[in-house]
Amino acid sequence: MTELLVGTKKGLVVLRGTRGGAMEIATRSFPGEVVEYAIRDARSGRYFASVTHGQFGPHLFYADDPAGQWQQAEGPAFPSGTGAAVERIWVVEPGVADGELWCGVAPAALFHSKDGGKSWSLVQSLWEVPERAKWNPGAGGLCLHSICPWPGDPRRLAIGISAGGVWLTEDGGKHWRRSVGGLVPRYLPEEARQDTHMHCVHNMKRAPRQPATLYLQFHGGVYRSDDAGESWTDIGTGSGLPSDFGFPLAIDPHDPNRAFVIPLVADADRVTPEGKVRVYETRDRGTSWQALEKGLPQSQAYLTVLRQAFCSDAGKPLGLYFGAQSGEVFGSTDGGQTWSTLAAHLPPVTSVRAA
Amino acid sequence: MPKVILTGSICQHVGGLSAIEVVGATARDVITTLETSYPALRGWVVDEQGALRRHVKLFLGGEAVSLDAPIAPGEELHIVAAISGG
Repeated sequence: MTELLVGTKKGLVVLRGTRGGAMEIATRSFPGEVVEYAIRDARSGRYFASVTHGQFGPHLFYADDPAGQWQQAEGPAFPSGTGAAVERIWVVEPGVADGELWCGVAPAALFHSKDGGKSWSLVQSLWEVPERAKWNPGAGGLCLHSICPWPGDPRRLAIGISAGGVWLTEDGGKHWRRSVGGLVPRYLPEEARQDTHMHCVHNMKRAPRQPATLYLQFHGGVYRSDDAGESWTDIGTGSGLPSDFGFPLAIDPHDPNRAFVIPLVADADRVTPEGKVRVYETRDRGTSWQALEKGLPQSQAYLTVLRQAFCSDAGKPLGLYFGAQSGEVFGSTDGGQTWSTLAAHLPPVTSVRAA
Repeated sequence: MPKVILTGSICQHVGGLSAIEVVGATARDVITTLETSYPALRGWVVDEQGALRRHVKLFLGGEAVSLDAPIAPGEELHIVAAISGG
C-alpha cells in the first residue's frame, strides 16, 4: 500500500493504492482551504497539515487518521514582543529526539515541538540573529522552508531560508551560524555578491546515510556540500541540466550519491523547459545528470512544480512522486525509470509527501 | 451583554453557535472573552499579536468598526469573513 499526502489550493487529498498500481482519492480534508504542506510522522503515525484559510490565516492541524477529526495545534505563533505574526507554515519536519518536531514559517522563523507536534515554541536564538535585518523576501515571501535534521544527533540541524541563506546549529538550536561559502547569487550584480545576505535557497535535503552530504537547489544553481553545509560546490553547471533553476529536489535515502531535481525555466517563467516534463537524476553526486521522462508528458507540457511538491519514499526500488500546479500527480516506483499519472484533475498542487 | 454574531466556517470554533452573548466594553474585549470561552477560536479572528486578520471585518450597527470600537449591552457585533478576490 502506498499513501500520498497531496496538499492543494483546495484541500488535502490523500491518495492510496497498491505500490506501482493505480491510486484513488481515499479522503479529502479542509475543502476550500489552501493546504500548504502535509506530512505523516512515521514515528508516531500522526498526520500534520498546514492550512492557510483565505480569511482566517494559517493554522497547523494534526490527526491520527486523515479521514477523522483534525485537532488544531497550539501554534506555531509568535510570542508577544516579537511584533510578528505567522503568515504561512511552510514545512513540518520530524526531529531526532523522542517527540521532537521542527516547523518552518514565514516570516522566516523556526518553531520547535517537544510533545509530538501538539504545541510549538519559537526558536528565539534564530529569530534574534542580527543578520535577519539583511534578509530579503523572495517571490514566496521571507520563508524558512527546508529543515534537515542529522540522523542520530538531535544537536545538529541545517535550515534553508529564502532569501537568508543556509544556517547551521550544533547545539540543538542555541546558537546559529550562516554557511553560504560557494553559493553564487548570480541574480545580484557581481560587485554586490560578496557581502550580500540575500542567498535565495530554494530547497535543501540531507542524505541520511551520509549526513555530511547535502544537496541544495539555489535560485540559479544546484549545489552539493560534502562537509555538513560548511561549503558548497556547484553541480549544476555543464553537467547536463537544461536549466539549473528550479524548486523541487529529492534524494535517495539509501544512496548519498543519488539526487533528483525538476528543472524549470529561469526565472520569471518557472515552467518545465521545452514543453517537456523531465525529472533529472544524478548517481554520481552531481557530476552528471540524466533525464527521466518515460511516461511523462513530452510535448506542449508547461508545468510548474512547487518547492514542496516533489518527494521520494523509502522503498526499494525507490518511489518518486510529484504534483503540478495544473493538478496532476505523477509517480514512479522504479526509481524514475518509468512514470505514471496517479491523479489528473486535482486543484493546483502545493505539496506531495509519501506517508 | 453584547451579542456576537458569527457566520460561515468560523462557527465551528465556537461549538457550532452563530450567536453568543459575551461580556465586554469594546469589540476587542468581546473577542478576547470569546477566545477565553472557546480557545479553538484563538488566532482565527485576530492574530497572535492581537491584530484583526486582514480579511476579517467587524460590523456594529451596520457600520464597519475597529477592534477599539465601544460596544454597549444589547448591541450586536458581527464578525464577517470579508469578500476577498474578484
